[in-house]
Amino acid sequence: MPRRGAPLVPSTHAVEPVPTVIEATGLSKAYGPTRAVDDLSFEVRSGVVTGFLGPNGSGKSTTMRMIMGLDRPDAGTVTIDGRRYRDLRWPLREVGALLEATAIHPGRSASNHLLGLAQSNDIPRRRVDEMLALVGLEGVARRKVGKFSLGMGQRLGIASALIGDPGVLLFDEPINGLDPEGILWVRTLLQGLAGEGRTILVSSHLMSEMSLTATDLVVIGRGRLIAETTVDDFIASNTVATVLARSPDPDRLAAALGAAGAAVTRRADGALLVTGLDAASIGDAAHAAGVALHELSPVQASLEEVFMDLTSGMVDYHGHVPTEAVA
Amino acid sequence: MTTLTVALPAVAPGRAGLRQQVRSEWTKLRSVRSTWICLVIIVVAGIGLSALVSNVEAGRWSTLGVADRAQFDPVRFSQTGEFISQFVVGVLGALIVTSEYATGSIRTTLAALPRRTTVLAAKGLVIGTVVLVVAEVTAFASFFVGQAVLTAHGARTLPAGSTIVDQVRSPTIPVDSITSPGALRAVVLCGVYLLLLSILAFGIGFILRHTAGAISAFVGVLLVLPLIVAVLPSSFSSSFEKYLPSNLGLAMIVVTTRKTDFAGVLLSPWAAAGMLALYAAVVVAVAVVLLDRRDA
Repeated sequence: MPRRGAPLVPSTHAVEPVPTVIEATGLSKAYGPTRAVDDLSFEVRSGVVTGFLGPNGSGKSTTMRMIMGLDRPDAGTVTIDGRRYRDLRWPLREVGALLEATAIHPGRSASNHLLGLAQSNDIPRRRVDEMLALVGLEGVARRKVGKFSLGMGQRLGIASALIGDPGVLLFDEPINGLDPEGILWVRTLLQGLAGEGRTILVSSHLMSEMSLTATDLVVIGRGRLIAETTVDDFIASNTVATVLARSPDPDRLAAALGAAGAAVTRRADGALLVTGLDAASIGDAAHAAGVALHELSPVQASLEEVFMDLTSGMVDYHGHVPTEAVA
Repeated sequence: MTTLTVALPAVAPGRAGLRQQVRSEWTKLRSVRSTWICLVIIVVAGIGLSALVSNVEAGRWSTLGVADRAQFDPVRFSQTGEFISQFVVGVLGALIVTSEYATGSIRTTLAALPRRTTVLAAKGLVIGTVVLVVAEVTAFASFFVGQAVLTAHGARTLPAGSTIVDQVRSPTIPVDSITSPGALRAVVLCGVYLLLLSILAFGIGFILRHTAGAISAFVGVLLVLPLIVAVLPSSFSSSFEKYLPSNLGLAMIVVTTRKTDFAGVLLSPWAAAGMLALYAAVVVAVAVVLLDRRDA
């Protein structure tokens, strides 16, 4: 379905890098007693993919709707290139968004859906067919959207976002419903669009997906900012190197490592989890103490675990374990 | 291959507005089947019921008493389909709004044009124009079909200046031409009645944002409200009845020049049209305010 190797949308925008394109300041929004977004400030720069990360229900979609001028903030402002969304003169040619992929009349064809959007912003009609080809839906252009799979709907949503060749793109959970091939396609597409100098904000509740797609990160939980950083810094500052050590005499090994300054926890199976010493130092310490080692392997805390740690207590809806579609 | 050869957005002249949104709304309206089903029902019900009712009434003329002969209204018979079409245009008016709320595509629409009152105006213009054109074409076609059916039964146009007494005494079935007193006005206002009802439902759609709710409310105004007014003390009901939307429609469509039974019960045709337009305007004004204030 996806046209692998198909050229991405070439930019017609000046690749003049603008340091900050989207700027949110003190955004707050409550729905009744629920504070969906709480004094949220962040910046999104052009030229890179910015991941907007948070558990389900953390306020990502609400924030995106406020960026788009769909929901009115209770407090705070958000601007795109210094302007409020409602002041954009040709909104679809400046900002493209995938908010809900299913938000299309089920009885309308894909091409008529895109045509209606194009006409609203004086976008040439041929752009409709070009976008259908780009997302691999040219074969079902006349088919009713109601007969589309979730993945096809998601592709049509991406085509809708790109119809005006906008310099700013907002994607709310774009890989939902996509198969692994589609996920790879979206990842490549987003990075290509960012490489053209566009500003890309992609929300996800999947940390590992963001680590593959994004450069910058805005992490929120319960509507509040947790971290505004780069993926690399986020990993470096939040992962603790742990080494798993296994010995026939774990008690003596633990004592020796403790003496060398490491923190040691013992697992139920007798293996030791060591932090504070790298694998080589652990080997040296074991050798010096005359303890045999049967296993010595570094363990990286996964990004998912880091993210879960950071946002624990900030998840509103428990009982939903995020499952990974990709490794 | 996917280059867009438009100028940079920042320097493109003008801005997205009513003209663009009207084209977009027309594309959206014509690209769903429900629109065409509704429009076909209006045409078929209009012309079909005109032929049917005119045929039945023509057969009854010789047996009618004085009172029934006085109420014999060839124009109104030809516009009987209006009773069905008033609900169909309500569905059309509501759906152009509520179908977008049902799917969430209203957010796509408002993202493409954040000036919400312009979006509302574009939708109203498109649905109003479509309903008015189809309703007027149907009203005129129904009129001529109805008169042709009467004529086939031997009906004759009464001489100019005929009174209600002349009609009652007429040995032949009366029939109207479009130049008969009140005929053109009644046919034109039948289309206007349907236009105003569609705009009323359209406004209700923006207020309630829910298809079933909006259509129920609209049907309630047309069918249930008269029942409620009817059970009120007659001192109340007799003064309110003429302001009911359904009775305003009747006032717009009957040819009163030869009538006696509606005198004083109904408003004059143009006053009725003005009153219904006022209702629609108030509902749309509320819709404009709510659309602007609410989160999409």
